[in-house]
Amino acid sequence: MKKILFLLIVPALMLSSCIEIIDDLSLNLDGSGTFKYTVNLSSSKVKVNSILALDSFNGKKVPKIEEIESKINQFRELLTLEKGIKSVQTEFNKVDFIAKITVDFSSLEDLQAGIKSVLTQLDSSIKYSEDDTAWITWDHKSLKRMIPQLVEERIKNETQSDQALLNTGSYTCISRLPKAIQNTSNSACKLNPTKTAAMLRVNTLDLKLNPSLLEHTLTLSP
Amino acid sequence: MDMKKLVFLWLLGWQTYLWSQGAEQLIPSQAVTVFSINNTDLLQKISIDEWITYDFMEEIHQELFDKSTENKTVKDAGLDFDQRLSLFYGKTPYYEVTGFTFGIKDKNALFKVFDDFENMPSPYEGVNIYQSLFNNLLIEKNKGLLIRVEPVEVFLNQQTDSLWYSRGNLSPFYAMDEDQFMDEEELVVEDAQKNLLEKNYYELRDSLQFEFQKKYYHDVLNGLLKQRKSLYSNDSVFRELLTHPSAGVFYMDNSRNIDRAKNLWYLKTVLPTLYLDVQELYDGNIITGDLILQESSVQFNLNARYSEALGSIYNEMNHAKFDPNIAPYIRSNQPAYFTYNINLRSAYEKAYDVLVPILSKAKDPEISFNLLLLKLGNALVNKDAVFDAYKGSLFMTFNGIQKVKTRKITFFYDEQTFEYGEKETEAEEDMPIFTLGFTTKRNDLPEMVLEHFSQVTSKFENKGDYWVYNKAIFDAAPVFLINTKGMFILTNDQDLAENHRDGYGKEALSKRMLKTLKKSGTMAGFANLQQVAQKFPSDFLDPSQQQLMEFLRNKTGSVTLKSGETTTHSTSVTLNYSFNDTEKSGKHFLDLLNTLYLLTK
Repeated sequence: MKKILFLLIVPALMLSSCIEIIDDLSLNLDGSGTFKYTVNLSSSKVKVNSILALDSFNGKKVPKIEEIESKINQFRELLTLEKGIKSVQTEFNKVDFIAKITVDFSSLEDLQAGIKSVLTQLDSSIKYSEDDTAWITWDHKSLKRMIPQLVEERIKNETQSDQALLNTGSYTCISRLPKAIQNTSNSACKLNPTKTAAMLRVNTLDLKLNPSLLEHTLTLSP
Repeated sequence: MDMKKLVFLWLLGWQTYLWSQGAEQLIPSQAVTVFSINNTDLLQKISIDEWITYDFMEEIHQELFDKSTENKTVKDAGLDFDQRLSLFYGKTPYYEVTGFTFGIKDKNALFKVFDDFENMPSPYEGVNIYQSLFNNLLIEKNKGLLIRVEPVEVFLNQQTDSLWYSRGNLSPFYAMDEDQFMDEEELVVEDAQKNLLEKNYYELRDSLQFEFQKKYYHDVLNGLLKQRKSLYSNDSVFRELLTHPSAGVFYMDNSRNIDRAKNLWYLKTVLPTLYLDVQELYDGNIITGDLILQESSVQFNLNARYSEALGSIYNEMNHAKFDPNIAPYIRSNQPAYFTYNINLRSAYEKAYDVLVPILSKAKDPEISFNLLLLKLGNALVNKDAVFDAYKGSLFMTFNGIQKVKTRKITFFYDEQTFEYGEKETEAEEDMPIFTLGFTTKRNDLPEMVLEHFSQVTSKFENKGDYWVYNKAIFDAAPVFLINTKGMFILTNDQDLAENHRDGYGKEALSKRMLKTLKKSGTMAGFANLQQVAQKFPSDFLDPSQQQLMEFLRNKTGSVTLKSGETTTHSTSVTLNYSFNDTEKSGKHFLDLLNTLYLLTK
């Protein structure tokens, strides 16, 4: 999985390229819902293709496109077996380098535990401790969201990026809730006219400098 | 004069002779490449900390990266600058040998720098041996040899595999994959059942590495210090080279370096499938060079010696005149360009005459079949058409980085629902711009091929005066094909295709530069170091090329390359590195040396 993250996130950041991430969560009243995560590298496909043509890049082996596809499939199969995960769909556009995952889950705890479990199964070097902060918390009255720890670490560790062009990348966080949103803790967060959905978009350079930009709590109307 | 006096004088003379022999006599005979630096005031002034930033000092980095070198120059390190400082590299199918030889003026000062070495018992008379964790230091009188011998990885892996599987073991990688799916308890049980005295694959490999290292280290030293066979004693070309007064000399025995030979590509061009069968052509193929330090430049004069057979092919190859069609396509301010000009037909015919007798001697069925194909090809193929299509003249230019138009997928959002969808839009990406052009008498042939492709795929578009191959580069950026006036040009430079199909006019190379190119013989090149290094996207290069690019990034000045006279026994090439800051000429000298080291490593 690290290889996939390496391919999908690191080169895009490091090579002064543009990355688009969409983190989309739809929640039902009982806490179940659908999670969609999309990584779009199509505006950097020349660079990604160039890297894929190499055997190694910055001292690390570059995976073949088939290996990436196989890892994505493995991720889907393992996640399907996790507790509380109802269905998992993946899609990988290898021409434009867009990867999508859609997961139906029973609860946010099951979703996050499932993802952590699969990531550690796929790559034993990824370690999660019991007290790792959840990146989504829900108490039926409010929803708190932040950047996933693994993505944050990847972005933070990147030092060689061309900051001016990194500025063109974006991380979009969308939350769809079963009731109207009364207020949001982050003024950059946009609500739709019916106030049942919120969208927060942050550019990747700002996110690298300040990961808390993505943090927000949405409080529902009573 | 009585006998005692005579013996005393003879002993004194012998002692003086022994002490006056240079440290280069300690270079082992296995060395294939040697860089040897002469004493110069300029080099002595460079601090040790600066020296160790060079890649060619890599082997002794471990010894020098500590406080013992602070504020010291090489002169303070006890080195004797009346002797040469030489670094060498050699490779056999079984081991690699690398190291340095140098003169010693002050042993105490030397051990203040090499402060991690311990004295070891020496089986070689008159030679003291010191070892550190990584290196071996041998001192014979006032000469020092820092040496490292390592088994070749491929050989080591073969030996380890052979031993591992002969013991009835399964693939070590298979076992490791299995571990990933075992839980903690199963792993503990498996570990408890293991025989602790039995080595795993990597322990076995480490043991073999240690043993091979020891064996080959002794083999090299026995040859050098017991049998007294060194590169110096074995090779008269090397001995002669060391008499040159230049600031540095370069030596590479290509006949012992055939698998790493980087100049085989021309033979591949002439006879693509057979080049590996003609190793005997490389007898005596020794490349030597002089690095001459001047006030604002360093000149590298390279001379390649070869056998008469190979020389006769080179000689024919060089019977070519510079094609004036090339010149209009090179801008006068081009960051880098290279021209190559050979008489391919003459070279082919000579190579045919030389190779057929060599290959006829071979009993190998594959070579024999290749020979039959070669003879049939020679008899049946219309050589006039082939060599009119490609005569042997080409040019390459690097035009810096340009934004090229590509397509990308972006997401659009519905402001009411925040639902999103994909749409294709235009994008721009940075891309290095290269042009490659061939001279041809048969413009009809590329046109015929392009016509055919355009019927097969819509990616080929005829734009009237040029062709576009859309999404040719990584399924994103186009390549332009210009087929005009005796030239066939491939480029990703849209500006060249749209606006300069007949050349750059007044912006092209000046008449003076053109004259120089014409005089340059087979090869000519120019690179503005700073422009190339800064504009070239080194992310896409392999690690050693990246290292070279990184090194060049802070350099100013330019490099020019031109080939010189070619005879049946040798050919010469001159590379000139000119710089602006003359007070740092010693440093520039080491810069060029380092670049050559990285290129030949």
